[in-house]
Amino acid sequence: MPHPSRARRRVTLAALVAVCVLAACQNGPNTTFEPHSEFGRAIDGLWKLLLHVGTVVFIFVETLLVYTIIRFRRREGQPEPKHVHGNTRLEILWTVTPAIVLACIAVPTVRTIFRTQARATPDALQVEVYGHQWWWEFRYPQYGVVTANEVYLPIGRKVNFALRTQDVLHSFWIPQMGGKRDLIANHTNYLWFTPDSSLGVLDWNGTCNEYCGLSHANMKFRVFTVLPADFERWAHHQALATTVGAVPPTTPVAAPATATPAGAPAAPARVGIRSAPDPLVRTVAQVSGGAPAVAPASTVVDSGYVFPADRMRSNVVAHTPIPDGLAFSPLVTGDAERGMQTYNKSACIGCHAIKGNPYSAGIVGPNLTHLASRHTIAAGLYPNDTDHLRLWIKNARAMKPGVIMPVLGVNEIDPLTHARVTAAVGGLTDQQIADIVAYLQLLR
Amino acid sequence: MATLAAPAIAAATTPTEYSGVWGWITTTDHKRIGRLYLFTALFFMLWGGAEAEIIRTQLRAPNMHFVSAATYNEIFTMHGTTMIFLAVMPLSAAFFNLLIPLQIGARDVAFPRLNAFSYWVYVLGGIVISLPIFFHAAPNGGWFGYTPLTTNAYSPGINIDVWVIGLQILGISSLAAGFNFITTIINMRAPGMNLMRMPMFTWMSFVVQFLIILAFPVITVALIFLVFDRFFGTNFYTTAAGADPLLWQHLFWIFGHPEVYILVLPAFGLVSEVLPTFARKPLFGYPVMVYSGILIGVLGFGVWAHHMFAVGMGPIADSFFSLTTMLIAVPTGVKIFNWIFTLWGGAIRFTVANCFAIGLLAMFTIGGISGVMHSSPPADLQQTDTYFVVAHFHYVLFGGSLMGLFAGIYYYFPKFTGRLLDERLGYWHFWLNLLGSNLTFFPMHFSGLNGMPRRIYTYDADQGWDTYNLLSTIGAYLVGVATLIFIYNILRSARHGQRAGNDPWGAPSLEWSIASPPPIYNFERIPTVTSRYPLWDVKDPQLTADVPHTEQGDFRLRVVVGGEHEGTVQFHPEPDVDPRHGAPLASERGTATAAELGIPIPYSTAKPFFAALGLVIMLCSLLTSHLDTHVPMYGLLFGGAAVLVASLYAWFTSPLEPEVAHA
Repeated sequence: MPHPSRARRRVTLAALVAVCVLAACQNGPNTTFEPHSEFGRAIDGLWKLLLHVGTVVFIFVETLLVYTIIRFRRREGQPEPKHVHGNTRLEILWTVTPAIVLACIAVPTVRTIFRTQARATPDALQVEVYGHQWWWEFRYPQYGVVTANEVYLPIGRKVNFALRTQDVLHSFWIPQMGGKRDLIANHTNYLWFTPDSSLGVLDWNGTCNEYCGLSHANMKFRVFTVLPADFERWAHHQALATTVGAVPPTTPVAAPATATPAGAPAAPARVGIRSAPDPLVRTVAQVSGGAPAVAPASTVVDSGYVFPADRMRSNVVAHTPIPDGLAFSPLVTGDAERGMQTYNKSACIGCHAIKGNPYSAGIVGPNLTHLASRHTIAAGLYPNDTDHLRLWIKNARAMKPGVIMPVLGVNEIDPLTHARVTAAVGGLTDQQIADIVAYLQLLR
Repeated sequence: MATLAAPAIAAATTPTEYSGVWGWITTTDHKRIGRLYLFTALFFMLWGGAEAEIIRTQLRAPNMHFVSAATYNEIFTMHGTTMIFLAVMPLSAAFFNLLIPLQIGARDVAFPRLNAFSYWVYVLGGIVISLPIFFHAAPNGGWFGYTPLTTNAYSPGINIDVWVIGLQILGISSLAAGFNFITTIINMRAPGMNLMRMPMFTWMSFVVQFLIILAFPVITVALIFLVFDRFFGTNFYTTAAGADPLLWQHLFWIFGHPEVYILVLPAFGLVSEVLPTFARKPLFGYPVMVYSGILIGVLGFGVWAHHMFAVGMGPIADSFFSLTTMLIAVPTGVKIFNWIFTLWGGAIRFTVANCFAIGLLAMFTIGGISGVMHSSPPADLQQTDTYFVVAHFHYVLFGGSLMGLFAGIYYYFPKFTGRLLDERLGYWHFWLNLLGSNLTFFPMHFSGLNGMPRRIYTYDADQGWDTYNLLSTIGAYLVGVATLIFIYNILRSARHGQRAGNDPWGAPSLEWSIASPPPIYNFERIPTVTSRYPLWDVKDPQLTADVPHTEQGDFRLRVVVGGEHEGTVQFHPEPDVDPRHGAPLASERGTATAAELGIPIPYSTAKPFFAALGLVIMLCSLLTSHLDTHVPMYGLLFGGAAVLVASLYAWFTSPLEPEVAHA
C-alpha cells in the first residue's frame, strides 16, 4: 500500500500556512477588523472572543488529529490494536467541555444582541434609506434632503437609519461602521451607530449584500464622515432647489444661518418637489445665452460643502472601465440652457426629480437636484464626470446591466430588447446629450 | 446450516433482466439503480464543477467580463442548485441504494419499483433544470430563491419557472426514496440485526430519510405557493399586495437547514465505516455516535432562522436561534472526538479512502468552527452574505460532504465493480483536492472579512480583494485537475483495476461477506447477525470478543423472503484473493443464478420509468405558459397525465416478482 510521503504533507502544510500568513497580513480597505463606531466595536469585541476561542479549538483538534494519525499509524509486525468500544467518562468530558465553552460565548452574545438592537435615542440624525433595483435613495427628513448613493454623516453624532425597500430585498452595509441589516418589503428595519468623533473627514464604501437581481454587484454607495459643521453646510445646501437660467431669478437666498434644530419634526421628504416654484429657488448660474463654446461658469452663492474629491481614497473612487462598444463624439460641447429645454421635453422628467425644475418631478429614478455635487453615478459604479455622464445617458443599459433607465442615444442598440433606438421613440443625438449633461453639471 | 432444495419459481420463463440500455431503464435492482445514481450524480458534479470554474474565472481579477452579469447570475444559481440537488444528494442516494440493503442483510429495498421511479424522476428533473442554461433561460434567483425577487413582478421570464418546477420534481424523487428507505430499514433487517447493531452508515441514512420526509414537504408548500403566484395570480409573496417576504424565508430555511444535515450526515456515516476498518478498531462510542446523529437531526429543525439574523427578527428571536445553533455544535463536536478516538490506539493503515475520511475530520472542523462564529448574531451581521459565509459552507459541504463521499467511493468501488481504484492516482486526487480546496476556500474567509459581498458578478479594483480572489481561482483550477484525475481513475480502474475479492480492506460489516460485485440476490442465504460486527465475528473473532453477542441459535427465525432459511453469516475467502495476482471477478467465476437458488427477483419493468416520464411531462406543461398559444400546455398536461395514469395502473396491477411455489 503506498504511503503519503511525509515530505509532501509538509509541503502542503507549509503552503497552507504561507497562504494564511500572507492573507492575514493584509487588512484591506473595507476591512471589518477596524470598527469606527460603538456598534462596530461591540461586534468586534464579540468577534475577537469568537476568533480566539475558534483558533484555540482549531489548533487543539487539528493537533490532536495529526498527532493521532502519526502516532498510531500501522507499523510492520505490530500486534492487533486493543479494542476499545467507548469510554463514558471521556465522552461526557467532550460533551460538557464544548458546552461550557459555548456558554462563555452565549452570554456576551445575548447581551450584545439586546444592546445593539435597542431603540435609537430620539435625538439621533434620522436617515431614511430606500433600496431600489439597483441604487440607494437617502432622505434626511430633519433637513428636507433627498439624495442618492452618497450619504454624509457627521462624526460623533448618532445616526439612525430607517431601512425600507421599494422593490426586492436589499441589505445595507458599511463594514467599518458595524453589521448589516436587510431591507425587507413591507417592513421597516432600523440600524444605528455613532461614527467616532475622533474619526476625521473620511470616505467609506457601502454595499448591497442581499442578492437583488441582475446588477446586485453594481449597487454600491459612498459614505462620507465629515465634521458636524460641514455636515450642516452640506445638508442645508442639499435641501435647496437648483435652477438654471430659464426660471426668473429671484433674490438669492443664502443657506439659512440657523440650523434646523435636531429632533425637530421631520419635514416630509418630498415637500417642494411637486410644488413649484419652490420658495427657496435660487439661481445657481446665469447662463450666457447662445454661447455653447464653453459650459458657463456658475456663479454659486454658497456651494455648501462637498467632500473634497482629492481626499477620496483609491478604494472609494470608482475604477470601473467603460464597456466596449460605447463611444461619444469627441468634438461636441454642451449648452446648459438648451440642455435644460431638451431635458424638460425628453423622457428624463418621467423618472427624475430636480427640485427647482417644475417639469422634473419623477420619483422612479434618483433625485438629481444636486447631481453635480456627487462623486459617482450609477450607484457608485462610475466617476461623475462629463464622459461618464454622457455615455450613461446615451446607453445606460450597456453601462450597467439591467437598469430600468432606457437607452436614449439615437442609433444605440438596447442590450435588453436588441432594438435600435430612433429619434421617433425619443432617441437623443450626441449634441442633445451633451447639452443635457452641461445642464446637469450645473446642479451643484 | 441446512441446505434446502431450491423452491420452484412460477413463470420461470419471464425474463427478470434485459441487456443494454433497456436493461438499465427497466432495472429494479438496487445495485444497478445505485450505480445509475452514482454515475448521474458524478456527471452533475462535473457540471456543477464546470460552473464553479466559470465563477472563479470571472472573479480571478477585478472588473472581468469572462461572462455577462446575466450569465453569471444563472451560473451561480445553478452551481448551488446543481451541487445540492443534483450532485451531493444523489451521491448520497447512490450509497443509500448500494449499501443499505447489503448492510442490513436484505435482498433489495422495500419497494424496488418505487426506487427506480425515484431515480428516473431525479434524472428527468435534473435535465429539466439543467438544460435551459444553454438557452439563457436557466434559473437566476439564487438557489435560495428569495421572494419577491422570484415573483413575476421582478422575474417575469421563464428562468424562475424552470427552477420552481424543477425543484418540485426533484422533491418528489427525494420523498419517494425517503419513504422507501425508511420502510426498508425498519422492515427488512436480517435476523439479529437490531437497531443498535446497524452499521453507522445505515444509521445516519436512517436519520437522513426522516429529515427528508419532514423537510421536503415544507419546501414543497413554499414552492406551491410560488407556483400559484407565478402561474395563477395568487398573492402569497406579492409584496405590492401586502405579502410579507419573510414567509418565504422562514419556509425555505425550515427546509434549508435540515437540508445541510441531509447533505452531510451520509458522509458522516461513510466516514464511520472507513475509519474503524483502517484503524482495525471498532467505532469509538457507537451508541453516542447514534444518539448524536439523531440529536443533530432533531436540533437541525430548530435553528433555521440563523440564516436570517440580518432580517430584523428582533432580539428575542435572534437570541433563541443563536442558542439553538450553538447547542447543535455539541453533538457535532462529540462526533469529531469520537472519530479521533476511533483512530487513537489503532493501527492506522493509510489508503486513499482513509485519507479522505481523515481529510473530512480536518476540514469539517474548520467549517464547524466558522459555523459557531456566525451562530452569534452580532458577529454574523458582519459576516452574513459575504465571502466568509461562502468559505464556511464550502468547508462544511466540500470539506465535509464531498470528502466523505470520496472516501466512500474509494472504499466501496471494489464492492460494486470487483476492482480497486488505483491508489497512486487516488493519492494525486486526494492531495491536489486537499491543497486546491484549501487554496480556494481559505482565502474566502479573508475576502469576506475584508468586505466582499457574495453573489457579485464582478468587483472594482483597489478593494483589497484581488490577491484572495486570485488564490481562490488558482485553487479552484487545482480542484478541477484533481476531479479530472478522479474521473480518469474511475474510468480506467473500472476496466483495468486490480481485482478486489470479497473483502479487500478487512471490514466488519455484512456487505463485505458476499462476492464483489454482489450477485443480483445479494445473499445466498439471509444471514443471522449475532453482534455489531458480523464479519469480524466470522473472520477475526478476537476483534469482537468484548462486544455483546447473541448466542448462536437464538435466531431460528423464519425468513420470509425466499423461503425458509436458517443462515449464518457466510464468508468464503476466495482462493487467491491477493489483489496483486488478481482473483477472478465474481461475474467471471459464475455464481449460482437466482433461479437456480430459487430466490425470487423482482421483474425488470419500464413502468416506473414511464410513470416518471409522464409526471415530468405533466409538470413541465406549465413551462410553455409563455407561449402565445396554450395548445402545447394542454397537450403536455393531458399527454403527461395520460402516460402517468396508464403507467401507474399497469404498475399497480402487475406483480413485483414471481410467486414462489413452496414445495
